[in-house]
Amino acid sequence: MSADAPAPAAPARAPGAVLQSLLLAAVALFFLNLNVMGTASPSKRFSQDLVYAWFGDEAWLYPRPAAPGAGARDLQRRVVVVMLNEQALALRGARWPVPVQFHAQFLAELAVLKPRGIFLDFLLLDPAPAAETCELLQVAQRLRTERIPLYLAVTRAEDLALLESPGCQGPRGVPIRASEVFTPVAVLRQVDNSDFVSRRYPFEQRTAAQAPGSGVVSAAVRMYCEAGADAPACLTRLTDYESADAGFELAWSPAGDPFNQRWSHEPCAPRISPMRAVLNEPVLPRESPCPPVATLFADALLNPELDPALGLDNDTLFNITQGSFLMVGGNFRGSGDLITTPLHTLLPGIFYHAVALQNLLAFEGQPKVRKEFRAPKLLFYGFDLLVLWLLAAIFLWRQRLLQRSRPGYYSPFELSTAARAWIAPLIARWPTPVWIVVGTVLLLLMATFRWLQLIAVAALVVALVIVELRVTPLAERHERLRALTLYALAMLLSLGVIAVAFWVGYAWLRLPPGDWLGYLSFVAFGFFVAHAATLEFGRRIDELHLARSSGEGSQ
Amino acid sequence: MRQYLPLVLCCAAVVGARADEPPPPASPTQVCLSPNNHVLGPRSGDRPLPLLSGDPQHGFHSACSAPWSTLSPKNEALPVAECFQGSLLRLDHVSACGLPPGPLWVSSRWVITSAELSHATSRAATCQQLETGSWAGTRDLNLECIPQKKPAPKSDPAQPAPAAAAAPTPAPPHH
Repeated sequence: MSADAPAPAAPARAPGAVLQSLLLAAVALFFLNLNVMGTASPSKRFSQDLVYAWFGDEAWLYPRPAAPGAGARDLQRRVVVVMLNEQALALRGARWPVPVQFHAQFLAELAVLKPRGIFLDFLLLDPAPAAETCELLQVAQRLRTERIPLYLAVTRAEDLALLESPGCQGPRGVPIRASEVFTPVAVLRQVDNSDFVSRRYPFEQRTAAQAPGSGVVSAAVRMYCEAGADAPACLTRLTDYESADAGFELAWSPAGDPFNQRWSHEPCAPRISPMRAVLNEPVLPRESPCPPVATLFADALLNPELDPALGLDNDTLFNITQGSFLMVGGNFRGSGDLITTPLHTLLPGIFYHAVALQNLLAFEGQPKVRKEFRAPKLLFYGFDLLVLWLLAAIFLWRQRLLQRSRPGYYSPFELSTAARAWIAPLIARWPTPVWIVVGTVLLLLMATFRWLQLIAVAALVVALVIVELRVTPLAERHERLRALTLYALAMLLSLGVIAVAFWVGYAWLRLPPGDWLGYLSFVAFGFFVAHAATLEFGRRIDELHLARSSGEGSQ
Repeated sequence: MRQYLPLVLCCAAVVGARADEPPPPASPTQVCLSPNNHVLGPRSGDRPLPLLSGDPQHGFHSACSAPWSTLSPKNEALPVAECFQGSLLRLDHVSACGLPPGPLWVSSRWVITSAELSHATSRAATCQQLETGSWAGTRDLNLECIPQKKPAPKSDPAQPAPAAAAAPTPAPPHH
């Protein structure tokens, strides 16, 4: 704080300090959740993305089955993406868009793998010849007989009627109804308004007017619940959210599934170091060439020559697919079915459902849900307030320690009087307009060339430290060192509080990774600004209150 | 002639170099079409084999799934009559789907062939890449057109209907 800053308030007594820290916390909470335009806070979402980019392959954060150390039980909970591509269609003499009869043939091939369930992520909305539709229904019935549930993507419940084929009969002459052999599931994609990233997976597709649980349940949710013991209870629990657009957060891993290394020419275990953020480099991967879910290309499945390592007797193929959830999606150039993942990369849409199912399996049906969808909402925001209150208390504790030894001294980063005196003649050489022009040019250059930012900041810090070391008296340097040590200590303590809050929120309250960037920004500098503002605010109120009291007394 | 000499020498060098190189590995189609290719048995034990009917010209259709013992009750090798795209094998005179004996197709994923065993194959999988380019364009459908023919004159009712009338037409949506 500068010399002309408001006069320091007297050291607050215990109740006063508690109230002061509470006010600071409330101010921070308000600004961290400021959302006037209806777009999500970028710091909140970016905090989450960074956590997954740095630690998404750690089992403590995201215990997905493909994580290192996964046991045999985890392999039974596998999700496998089966990717239809142009080459696969060519192997059957077909081409895009995928004909219904190809789906029928391909599903019959998948039945050999004995999966736990199959999800067909294709919207079969266009009319097809009755014979082809019947062929699909017959294969679907065969799957049903073999206890392999078949989930079909729909845009609304009525879509299934398009697949009804009145003359279609099963082997015993019994008519086959589409509604009896397919389970319709919603494939609606959710994005955050601020950056169009698909971090959230909806529980169900319904309008605000419909009651919770009455919509079309999303693919991953239904598949997860129907694989368990008590499907109705599971569905009721997972769709019991008041908001129509409620969804769960997708934990995401930057590491690819080890199975994919067989076809991906990029390494499936990339390392994204947090140091990149310090070095002002991109902190998120540019693409995901090795996706986080085991992926089997349909052409390799149809033609053993393309992947002979799947086993002469298909042992590797059966190991990965038997008892797994097969998610069949398409990956055709220019088809447009792509999602922006929480790592800000693009992947075919089927991975949205596959990762969602993987999340439900990893967190055993207790996925992470944002506090705005939780009830009672006030309790979850109260948790945030509590964390910020602790951080504000640490900040005020540090300020009080500094005030004891040197009243009026708030920030360890302000220039000393001696340094100011040394710099003043340099600045005085040129008039203000020259400094404005120089400052503007420098800021323009730094805004244009990103590499200049790091160099400029480092050069400024080094220059100021040298000046301080040369001109400041020894006693003042010691005082500065003490203040810096206290600042570092308070930062460490605050980081500890943030880490504990993160863990409590994530593991116990089922909240997605918290806004640690927001917390950290308040700990590092936000509280300084907020504190100065609240002190000034308090001083003004005190003045007004005293003036009113004295006025009443004189009357 | 002198002006063509460099070209002739260049071609001769290419031919010479090719003669020194090892022969390229046989493509899947070549392996599949090798003479006397037989399906020796199932690749995956007693799991049912998905069988297709139809042909490359008119398209394939899912017929049924049947175990190897139904296809070959005496566990004999079955001759491969035709091969499509190196992976779909046609077996003739098969009555696995409860129909009169006829041609049925099976994927080489589920059966072992004699040609496959006689050719040394690589163990490496083919590299794949996901299509994640986002294009500001709509992918068009490349549908084949059916030539419109003039309707047959009404004066001759005995004349057969034109072939185009037999072409599959999209069914109306069922509601």
